[in-house]
Amino acid sequence: MTATPTMAVKVLRAPRLPRTTATFAIASAVLAAMTLAAVFAPLLAPYNPDAVDFAAVNAPPSAAHWLGTDGLGRDTLSRLIYGARTALLGPLLVVIASTVLGILLGLLAGWRGGWIDAALGRVFDVLFAFPSLLIAIMAVALFGKGLVAPVIAMSIAYAPFVARLTRSLIAAERNRPYVAAYRVQGFGGAWIALRRVLPNVTPIVGAQSTLNFGYVLAELAALSFLGLGVQPPTADWGAMINEAQAGLIGGHFLPAIVPAVAVVVVVVAVNIIGEELSDRIGGGTPA
Amino acid sequence: MSATKTAAIDPSAAAAAAPPGGDLLDIRDLTLDLPDGTRLLHGISLTVAAGETVGLVGESGSGKSLTARTVLGLLPDRAVITGEVVLDGVGVLTAPAPELRQLRRRGAGMIFQDPRAGINPMRTIGDHLTEALRLAEGWSADAAKARAVELLAAVRLPRPEDHLRQYPHEFSGGMLQRVMIAGALTTSPRLLVCDEPTTALDVTTQAEIIGVLTEQRASRGMGMLFITHDLNLAASLCDRVYVMSGGRVVEQGRAREVLRDPQAEYTRRLVAATPTLVGAAPGAGTTSGAGAGADGGDAARRAGARHPSTGVSSTDPAVAHVRDSGAEASPMLEATAVSKTYVRRGKEPVRAVIDASVAVARGGALGVVGESGSGKSTLARMIVGLEAADSGDIRIDGRERTAVPRSRRERLAHARSVQMVFQDPYLSLDPRITAGRAIEDALRLHTRLGATEARSRVLDLLAQVGLGQKHAAARPRTLSGGQRQRVAIARALAIEPDVLVMDEATSALDVSVQAQVLDLVDRIRRERGLTVLFISHDLAVVRRVCDETVVMRRGEIVERGRTAQLLAAPQHEYTRLLIDSVPRPGWDAQAAGAEVEAAGSDAVGEGRPAGSDGRDAEAEAVEEARTAATSQAR
Repeated sequence: MTATPTMAVKVLRAPRLPRTTATFAIASAVLAAMTLAAVFAPLLAPYNPDAVDFAAVNAPPSAAHWLGTDGLGRDTLSRLIYGARTALLGPLLVVIASTVLGILLGLLAGWRGGWIDAALGRVFDVLFAFPSLLIAIMAVALFGKGLVAPVIAMSIAYAPFVARLTRSLIAAERNRPYVAAYRVQGFGGAWIALRRVLPNVTPIVGAQSTLNFGYVLAELAALSFLGLGVQPPTADWGAMINEAQAGLIGGHFLPAIVPAVAVVVVVVAVNIIGEELSDRIGGGTPA
Repeated sequence: MSATKTAAIDPSAAAAAAPPGGDLLDIRDLTLDLPDGTRLLHGISLTVAAGETVGLVGESGSGKSLTARTVLGLLPDRAVITGEVVLDGVGVLTAPAPELRQLRRRGAGMIFQDPRAGINPMRTIGDHLTEALRLAEGWSADAAKARAVELLAAVRLPRPEDHLRQYPHEFSGGMLQRVMIAGALTTSPRLLVCDEPTTALDVTTQAEIIGVLTEQRASRGMGMLFITHDLNLAASLCDRVYVMSGGRVVEQGRAREVLRDPQAEYTRRLVAATPTLVGAAPGAGTTSGAGAGADGGDAARRAGARHPSTGVSSTDPAVAHVRDSGAEASPMLEATAVSKTYVRRGKEPVRAVIDASVAVARGGALGVVGESGSGKSTLARMIVGLEAADSGDIRIDGRERTAVPRSRRERLAHARSVQMVFQDPYLSLDPRITAGRAIEDALRLHTRLGATEARSRVLDLLAQVGLGQKHAAARPRTLSGGQRQRVAIARALAIEPDVLVMDEATSALDVSVQAQVLDLVDRIRRERGLTVLFISHDLAVVRRVCDETVVMRRGEIVERGRTAQLLAAPQHEYTRLLIDSVPRPGWDAQAAGAEVEAAGSDAVGEGRPAGSDGRDAEAEAVEEARTAATSQAR
């Protein structure tokens, strides 16, 4: 109602550390390296990922094959590098599509409120009831194996996460005085929502989407592992683990461990980045 | 600054002001540095004796709260502190944790500004009051409960027994602040530290709380350290005051001497900037003398000095002309029999505004005064087209402006009729948009200016409100409160409206900044002949700005008239209550006046708890209903 005389207390909060933390730097470096590997795979990979060499089946690491070879004598490092392409591209597409879809639905629900909000809320609830992996498997059952159907299915499955966050942010933002000020100035609702309010919430939503990237990556790898996603012989981390199962009995762990570690490393790196981003943005949100 | 400081603290004056006997609280040369080297407190020294009330006065960021918090050992993390804080013979800064806990239990209690933030919302009032006694003092549940009832009765809550079972959300802000006071008194502390305990409260509620505090202090012989930004409040309550600015004590002494005859440059400015109910009022001219108190001449001299515009405005031909023509022609803003009721599902409907009519002449300024929940903001929101009136008629410059605008054409037309400056400049500016861009947006929407023309017009408008090119590129975050409110005013002026509505536009600002903004509004009114509807809870501010005033209570206009007359001779009992509740220095009244006032606020405390409860509940209901209504509207 009246004055804000305790401004001094604000100063007391420990000053934000502007420097990047070491973990964040490492995580960024890992993700950058993976991205570069995916983009420049043909230049970086020492072998054709599909080149079968029966002279070197299940070879241990050596100067010729840094990470050894798998049961068909294919170079594990080369397959790892090529595998980064599908491993990163799938989640990227899912994150972009689910974010766009989620933001639009969330904006609609949060800004309009009323029955639209209620109806969309129920739809999201229903989608939340199905694990995204299950939705992806159903899509595969309906539309056949491959990456296309799961990516579309998971884009839809992940949209409610984004939509619900966007909705609550927009609903809070909508009642802020600056929005009323825009209205008093004569701006229309659509302009305020799309041009002014939405950009104020997108950083927070973006940070959440970054976290989604890691989950989607793991789930798509799982799908390929089950033989429902990327199909052999295409190099993919999930598919590589699947194909290496036979070798495990013979004591050849490397072809399975290498892609598994790659999945874990990338997921952890993305999560660290996502957490850090949402922390930073969360600290600097409009008061 | 340092020169004025040494001049201001006259050692002999300080010695004269020092209380006899041992001091309850003794702060000596307290400095506080943040880990990054910023020094927030520069050698503070102050004392509080038992039974004495000491005021710590200053604006935002002056370090007054920080100083007070050190008394209880509430220090910022990793801060570097030197000096001494001795409370009841114990050095707080060096005390080990167990001793510090003892001090917090028995030595000093603290009351914060926002009672809602200080009470666990999930526990009952009874739990809040008894847990300290049961857990720390080992009292039995029954004994603790009896004590809690006694304390609630002491702070004059109407039904102590029932309150124990209630939750904080069932209480109004004023009632909850009483609970906080009761909580601070449970262990009978020797010193009570009050950090802006009434700032978030309505003026009548403030009077009640102050009544309770003074009574408790007197009956318990406690020392009290009272932190406030409100000079008048400090003057009415405190024996001695310390004036703080920028982490330094710039002046100290007996309240009467410091505030009537300030020595330090800063205190002088602060006193001059503080609007009062007595003395000459701008725009009111000759009639205002009637309302002046005992030192009316003195106040008038100060008032004259503080806004030179006063003398000019009554003789300024332009303004006179504007007013004259306004008197003859139809009013610029005319709201007739406007009503607004919020219907809430499953609850009583809230009648926010009931049959209110206001009219403002061309170039005039009308004040709307009332406490929270009085419907003054709802009235403003209807006028600017944010809310639809249920019935009644709003006309601006003769044009129908009742409905909430729907089409683009209606929106633009409504916007050109009336603009609004909101209460909190921290919230009413888009955090992402620079000041220049905000104004440019408005210009682009309403004019066909090209990019370069618009930009030069933006600088022009910023210059009019006393800001420069460097502010145009600044985001709101980097601007001060006063600067932000100037940007908001420039943004409103960009549209060149017929009427400007200012909804509590200065209540979030420090007094000195408030004075600057009010001066700015004065100037703009003179230069542009702008019609202003000024909504405020603060009678003194309204008096400073407005020719005429209406008083609202619970949605109804209970009194209207020329501001000076209304203040000098209020007709309605509520107006009288409002005026009586405004804190004023005891020496402004007659010799007996001080006692009368104290008794008056006691009477208020006894007679009105139920009323204040209802009023606060009403304010919350209006707010809640409005939020729900806007959700459905879009």
